[in-house]
Amino acid sequence: MKKNECVAMLLAGGQGSRLGVLTQKIAKPAVAYGGKYRIIDFPLSNCVNSGIDIVGILTQYQPLELNDYIGSGKPWDLDRLNGGVHILPPYQKSKGGDWYKGTANAIYQNIHFIEKYDPEYVLVLSGDHIYKMDYSKMIKAHKKTGADCTIAVMEVPFEEASRFGIMNTKDDGTIYEFEEKPENPKSNLASMGIYVFSWRKMRDYLIADEKNKESHNDFGKDIIPAMLSCGEKMMSYRFDGYWKDVGTVESLWDANLDLLNPKLDLKLDSADWKIYSRTGWLPPQYISPTAQVENSLISDGCEVKGKLDYSILFENVTIEEGATVEYSLIMPGTVVKKGAHVQYAIVAENVKVGENAVIGQNPQEVQNRDDWGIAVVGDSVKIGKNAVIKAKSMISKNVKEGDVQ
Amino acid sequence: MRTNNILGIVFANVNDNLLPNLTKKRSMASVPFAGRYRLVDFTLSNLTNAGISQVGIITKENYQSLMDHIGSGREWDLDRKSGGLFILPPFVSGGIGDGVYKTHLEALKSIINFLKRAKQDYVAICDSDLVANLDIGEMFRQHIEDEADFTIAYKYGKLPKNHERTMVVSVSDNRRIEKIEYVKERTNADYSLDILLTRRLFLIDLIEKAVAEGKNSLSRDILALSLDKYKVMGYKIEGFAEVIDTPKTYYDLNMKMLDSKVRKQLFSCERPIYTKTHDSMPAKYCIGSNVTNSLIADGCVIEGTVKNSILFRNVTVKKGAVVENSIIMQNADIEENAKVSYAVMDKVSTVAKHCVLEGTKQKIALLEKGETQK
Repeated sequence: MKKNECVAMLLAGGQGSRLGVLTQKIAKPAVAYGGKYRIIDFPLSNCVNSGIDIVGILTQYQPLELNDYIGSGKPWDLDRLNGGVHILPPYQKSKGGDWYKGTANAIYQNIHFIEKYDPEYVLVLSGDHIYKMDYSKMIKAHKKTGADCTIAVMEVPFEEASRFGIMNTKDDGTIYEFEEKPENPKSNLASMGIYVFSWRKMRDYLIADEKNKESHNDFGKDIIPAMLSCGEKMMSYRFDGYWKDVGTVESLWDANLDLLNPKLDLKLDSADWKIYSRTGWLPPQYISPTAQVENSLISDGCEVKGKLDYSILFENVTIEEGATVEYSLIMPGTVVKKGAHVQYAIVAENVKVGENAVIGQNPQEVQNRDDWGIAVVGDSVKIGKNAVIKAKSMISKNVKEGDVQ
Repeated sequence: MRTNNILGIVFANVNDNLLPNLTKKRSMASVPFAGRYRLVDFTLSNLTNAGISQVGIITKENYQSLMDHIGSGREWDLDRKSGGLFILPPFVSGGIGDGVYKTHLEALKSIINFLKRAKQDYVAICDSDLVANLDIGEMFRQHIEDEADFTIAYKYGKLPKNHERTMVVSVSDNRRIEKIEYVKERTNADYSLDILLTRRLFLIDLIEKAVAEGKNSLSRDILALSLDKYKVMGYKIEGFAEVIDTPKTYYDLNMKMLDSKVRKQLFSCERPIYTKTHDSMPAKYCIGSNVTNSLIADGCVIEGTVKNSILFRNVTVKKGAVVENSIIMQNADIEENAKVSYAVMDKVSTVAKHCVLEGTKQKIALLEKGETQK
């Protein structure tokens, strides 16, 4: 096998439990985003746009839909003669087998996959974030500094820093300390969960980590601290573009509606850095004479007869006459019937929202701010006529006519 | 009945002269339609939805845009190790009878080796100027049941504009075609949609004999004269199936896509119409946009007003601009306060700020590919 500069390993096995009903049947990287994308389209498109064409995808939790979606990797131009995309689930070996115990263990179990390509560097990615990034620049920086590990970081507001893994760095970018969700952060440089390792070094640490029975086998908790304490050269790599974690319902909703923010002007189809996705075969969307559409994104196959403001319709959504959808995401195949009102909500795939049903609430209608939150309806749920789904609810079962939840 | 025992043959340059402006730089097969398709998408999807896995596309001229659209045929599931898609450009070897073909028969003669090498027992021959979602599998089932030599798809309706060259068929109760004629009047009649099913070896034999005897036309000189000799059957198409025969029909048929009943017939989930994808973002409706009764494709960015229109991918309609009763093809721009009505704007054309492109219901205005209306 010929020598390769870099292999990317994409950690896609997480459940994303904070997304609740949205990840009941699918892994988090398969969650829909932006009308026609899935979260995993971002790291995959970034890889191919950065010239990295060997990508291992580590799957574990509910991999079926993700496997289907990735297929041969053709939509991302990752069906290659050498390398391309590989799905790497846990498997049985002659001496038994194991689930992936942690992020580091997932890579450990696939050491032979990486060895096959004999890379200089391994890029570790996660499928939790919306961003466009040229990984080749990061690898270049890694080479230039001669680091053993380079971690992408970005500035976050100090008051939010305690939600992140924080890197404390010297002036030249050298990391001297890593703190996971510190109460009193010393720095506001948050780890983006993107690592470049020199493969030889990484391999040694993975093997050592596996032998340590106390270890969680996790990059953030174990590998990075171990490398730091042994005095390995750890560098930070600053990123200042758009980057959003979509680990919670609210952040997923936010990151979607960011696409409608004229100040951000997020173009996912710009010629120099396109985000690719697998799409269906649907006719263009139809906007009827009774429709009123403003400030929204709409995808192929949709039929809009009602009112739409500040919302995103994924493929094949129907909004009937007299229905109103505001500040919401409506995922593929869902039908919103006559007179229904959906606001501040995420409605998953193939949901039927009955006539005059009300989903979600305007924050101003809720007296106690803590009671407010995005309403979420899980996939294939039927919401009966005149039913009411309050703010912050998470619905995974059918709701009867007139019920209030 | 799905089968891969049929070889598909598609004519890309059919009646190009009937849409002179839109086929200046493309073949009929690659004329854009309904917001995101090319005409050939319908025929190719009809073939592959029936299970057909080998298709030859006979081209004649202006086929660069077609090749660009079709690529390896992957979008229609036609990039196969065995079979798949073949583009068959004119083959000129200098011999007598070689060169750019004039009739379908000559074209078939020019690909006789392709026909001979194929392994399928049957051949489906199609034109590419038809907008329809057809069940070729069902047509094949009938062809077998009838033990037919030929099966021709036909429909009832007003004859297309080039009616003098359209086969009018008289079909008996048992589906047998008893008469084929060419009429002078543009009346309502049962007429052929130029989809023909037959046995491959039988067709090769016919072509070779016909060429030896100096015949020109498969339908006129062979089929029409041999109805008692060969079993020629009709397969009636009841749903939406329209031939594009004039710029006016092209405009009207596009506008028919605004009717949801028509869209349902044409874009069924069971038999999708496949096309090349472009990775555009979903269409963006900005603050102040006003869109009604329109078909909008991915990648459009709309700030102005759009009524009764069809917008292909990546069209921009700027603030204050008004688009009415028009067809706007891929990557066209309508700048601030411009007005477009009863018009067809070809790809990458522009109507500049405050400028007007205006046709009438009777005479649709056309802005050609890459041009700017100032």
